[in-house]
Parts: sequence; structure tokens; C-alpha cells
Amino acid sequence: MSTTVSAIIDRRESKDGTPSITYRYAGDRGVLVEYGEMAFDLTLNFFMLGVEAALSENRPEGVVETAPGFRSILVMYDPNVLAVSDLVDHLRGVHDSLQDEHAMTIPSRVVHMPIAFDDSTSRDAVERYIRTIRKDAPNAEGGTNIDYIVRYNGFSDREELYGAVLASQQWSAFMGFFPGLPFMFPLDPRETIFVPKYNPTRTWTAEGAVGVGGPCIAIYPVESAGGYQLFGRTIPIYDIRQRNSVFRESPLFMRPGDRIQFHRVEEDELLQAFEDVRADRYRYRIEDSPFDVGAFLDWLPTIADEAEERRVRREAAAAATPVP
Amino acid sequence: MTTAEIIEGGLQTTVQDYPGRRGMLSKGFFPAGPMDHLAHRAANLLVGNPESAATLEITLGNFRMRFDDEATLAVCGAEAPLTIGDEDAGLWESHRVAPGAEVSIGIAPVRGFRLYLAVSGGFDVPELFGSRATYTMGALGGYEGRPLQQGDRVPVGQANGDAAGRRFGKDAIPAHTREWEVRAMRGPQSAPDFFTEADMGTLFGRDWSVDRNSNRTGIRLESHKFEWARSSGGIAGGHPSNILDNSYPVGAINVNGDLPVILGPDGPTAGGFVVAATVIHADFWKIGQFRPVGDTVRFREVSIDEAIEAERELSATLTESTLESI
Repeated sequence: MSTTVSAIIDRRESKDGTPSITYRYAGDRGVLVEYGEMAFDLTLNFFMLGVEAALSENRPEGVVETAPGFRSILVMYDPNVLAVSDLVDHLRGVHDSLQDEHAMTIPSRVVHMPIAFDDSTSRDAVERYIRTIRKDAPNAEGGTNIDYIVRYNGFSDREELYGAVLASQQWSAFMGFFPGLPFMFPLDPRETIFVPKYNPTRTWTAEGAVGVGGPCIAIYPVESAGGYQLFGRTIPIYDIRQRNSVFRESPLFMRPGDRIQFHRVEEDELLQAFEDVRADRYRYRIEDSPFDVGAFLDWLPTIADEAEERRVRREAAAAATPVP
Repeated sequence: MTTAEIIEGGLQTTVQDYPGRRGMLSKGFFPAGPMDHLAHRAANLLVGNPESAATLEITLGNFRMRFDDEATLAVCGAEAPLTIGDEDAGLWESHRVAPGAEVSIGIAPVRGFRLYLAVSGGFDVPELFGSRATYTMGALGGYEGRPLQQGDRVPVGQANGDAAGRRFGKDAIPAHTREWEVRAMRGPQSAPDFFTEADMGTLFGRDWSVDRNSNRTGIRLESHKFEWARSSGGIAGGHPSNILDNSYPVGAINVNGDLPVILGPDGPTAGGFVVAATVIHADFWKIGQFRPVGDTVRFREVSIDEAIEAERELSATLTESTLESI
């Protein structure tokens, strides 16, 4: 019987305006580095992006690759080349050398995407889930996840939910899951939607499905399993066959740092756009527009009261709603 | 160029190399590669290939192929009948195959789920993003990004000398079972901050059944009501398994609500559920041999030092000194 070892390798408390840092084992070939506490705070994401950039310039031998999260970085390494203690020492040095994220300008694009709310493939995914995985999930009542999202957030109806999705640009904080999936968070905290994830997860989701889990909105790039509550569908964001010119440079369309603006369309229009993408007739609307972190951080306090009011309403509704 | 022709592709046969596609996690690509890296590496060793060379990962069996030219091959993994031409042939051995002779693998009847067929020179499909591995979720790599079908002709590389007539030492052949023990390290999201110590005791203290919805993306186990250290995931979602999304390591024991899933080589790179523990690399091969429905797994907790030592022991068996002449 071996002695129990903590999953936490080391922790540094928050100091001089920088977040706390927690180093955790992720198996014998990975270390997960977390910034700050479990809070929806975009400054943690900007801090992470700063670390990623610094680490890419100063990567010790034995680091195989790094993979961001909203407020974390997973560092994969070869333990035959680099001891975990040396890796953590190196990361401490990188963290200490960072500049203030206030001064950052992040390369960014505004990307316009059509969305059809309550589309037939999302309803199909929920119906399959009820049939094959779980019959009594509160988030799947009525064969849709939408009414559950509405209830959990205290919206008066579906239209109020759709309005919140459309009212804010969505910040692509990092990529992962399956090829090219953007993990997106509302830049306007007043428009935050949050919801528990599936329990257990789905085994099928359509390509292009749009869902929400926690405060994060995602577009499913391929048919796959999934855990987010589905509310609509958009056009392809991944194509290894590069059938549309937008995929010519890379089969992955989205990038970290993109700001996604959804525009409402009907489902038949969306299906036509899907076809047009494949036939290279559809042109994605993209504007280059660097993101000024300082200006954003200065704007946040001006809407803080309103954001707080909405948070209180949201959390009261959530507390009265069953969790899957 | 010489090729191998697929006569019967079976349930799911894909081209895989080791360690798969690295450097793509941050774009949403898990590495793919063999689900049982031990059998893959052993098969390559037997035919004189580097362990990285591409093999065929054959699920359950029911597979037939033939080579245009003389070839040296080895099949390692699940216990299934192998015939070459009209002769029965042993697994974990290297064999010479005459041009046009049919290589046939029957169904693995009882234990194990995947077999690896290596040919001297390796399967020479094009590299994509630095690897020949088939990544089923991205429909890329391997042979046209998909499982092999009847009539496919898979390119074969230049053979490496004469490697026929060798076998993997009996003591080094891994035992297959229906009741697996797999070593894992706790974390990244473990006790006391996400689970209770009693939960960790449950995770490491019971047998978990392998669910039918298991494949290269992950091994689904069975739902269990953990106690949880938190009452809710807060902003990340009301269930205590919910966290703000982060990246996952391969082999993560990812708890989706109440359901633990071991993430496989084609699994999701990131998501918003806790990872209670992570299977160590030295034991990751075992999950490739789990039979969905019927097999069970029990996890045993180890430290990082024990994990590194286990990897050293495993790698030591994957050397020429393990091989014997037949």
C-alpha cells in the first residue's frame, strides 16, 4: 500500500495584483497550472495568455507541449528528460517575469456567425439522449435543453435567452475538446448565461451545434459526444477537406482571441449556408480588430452594478432549479 | 511501391503510430496512436522496426489481408487465432509471409479487444501534422482518415533486414484478464478540494464495469453518487463535477456528472468536468484491451516515483534482449 500523495504539488498565494498559482499532478507526464480561484474572471484568462506567450519563448527541454484552459495551462512533459520539480521551478521563473496584463493588446478578429436557435439537430440530440442514455434528466424535459437554460437563469422566456446570446461578443478564450472548438465567454458580463453540464454526457451532437456549460458557450466542430446544453446551430468551423476558402490556410477556422458575434437566422437559411460553405459559395465575415485589454478592464467598472443585479437574479433562479 | 490489400477490414482497423500526433493539444487534437501501446511496440520490435513505426490496430479480429511481396510480420495483443496461408501461426512472434498469402485473424473469443499487426518497414501512409496515426474524431491521418475497408491498398515501407523467426519472451508477454488492475495517480482535481477522502477510497477501492459505449475516445464506466467535497460547481455549473473548462491529459479519469470516463487516445482534449485521477503511462495500454460489457477495472493509487519506475520496467521489456529465436 503506497502512501497517499496530494494532487497539489505546490501553491503560491496571490501577490502584487497577480493571481494565486496552483500546480497539480496530471498523471506522470503532465502538470496542470491553475491561476486564481474558480471564478468567471476574464483577467485570469488574459494572465494565462501572457504566461503561454512567455512559455513559448522560454520552453525547457523535456516540455512536449502546452494546452491552455480558461484559467490554467496543462504542461505535458517527458519525465525521462525533465523532473517534475525542475519543471515547476522553471514555471515559477516564467510567472515571476510577466508584465502587467493591463498593457496587453491581443491579436483578435471579430467573426460574424449565423445562428438558428432551437434547430432540429439539437432537438434530435436531446431526444436521442432521452432514448438511449437517461430518461429523467431535468435538463432534457420536453425534448429540449432550452427551457432548462431559461429557467436556470431566471429569464422570462426563450426570447430573453436568445437576446442575451446576441447582445454580447463572445471571447474565444482557448481551443480544445475536438479539432478547432472555441471555448467562448461573454465579454459583457451582464449577458452571462450559466448552466450545469449534462449528467452523464451525451454520446451524439451534430456538427455546428451551439451549447452552453457553466458560463462558457461552444460550437461543436465535428459530430461528437458532448456535455453542454444545446440551444442552436451555426455553420462549420472545421473542415479537414478544406472545401471552403476560409479553411485554405488551416482546417481550423477559429482562433484564441477571436470575438464571435452571432446573428439570428431561421433554420432553412442556416442549412442553405451549410451547403454554401461546402460548395465554397459562402463567405465568412471577418474583421481584424486587435483587442485592447486595458480599455476593456477600464470599461468593466462602468457596468459593474448592472452586472451584479443580473448575477443576483441568475443565482436566485439557479438555486430554485434542480441540477441534472 | 509495395502494398498490402485489405480483404476484410473487420469491426474497426486503423493505421496507428507511436506516440501519435504531438503538439496539437491546444488546437483540440488528442494524440491518437495505439490504444495498447505495449502490443504496438512489441510487434514493431519483433519485425525490426522502431517503436514509432505505423502498425494496424485491429479491433476484436475478423480481419484478412495479403501482401503483394514477401513480408515479415508480427501480431501482438488480444488472444485471437492467426493463420498465414493455410498454417496456424503464433501471436507475439515474427513470421515470413509469402507473396499473395492470406493473413487472417479470427475473433478474440474471451480476453482482450485489440490486436496490432506490424510489418517490417512499417505501413507507409503519408504523415499529417507529423504523424501517421488515424484520428477518428478529426477524420484525418492514417489511410484517408478512416478505418480500413475491403479493397484498400495500404503502402508498405522498405523492410529492415531479416527479422522473421523471433518471439517475445514468454515472461514478458502481458497477461490479459477480464478483471483489470490499472495504476493511476490522483489529480489534478482530487481530495480534499473536489472529492472527499472517502470518494477517493471508493474510486480506488471497487471494481468498475466497462460500459458498451466505449471506444477510442474513452472508456465509459458506471455511474456512482460520489459524496463530493463541494456542494456545487458554482459558476461552472450546479453539479459538483463541473469546473471552468481546462485541458485534460490522456488517461484522465474524467467524472462527467456521476459517470467516470477514462479518456482514450482520440478523446476530448478539454472540457468542464473534474479529473479525479490519471492512468499512468505504463498501464495505459491496458485500457486498449478492455472488452466493453463484461470486463471490470480496479484502479490502484501510485505516486509519481512509482509511475516512473513502472515505465522503466515496462520499457526494459521492450528491448532486443526480450526476444528469443524460434
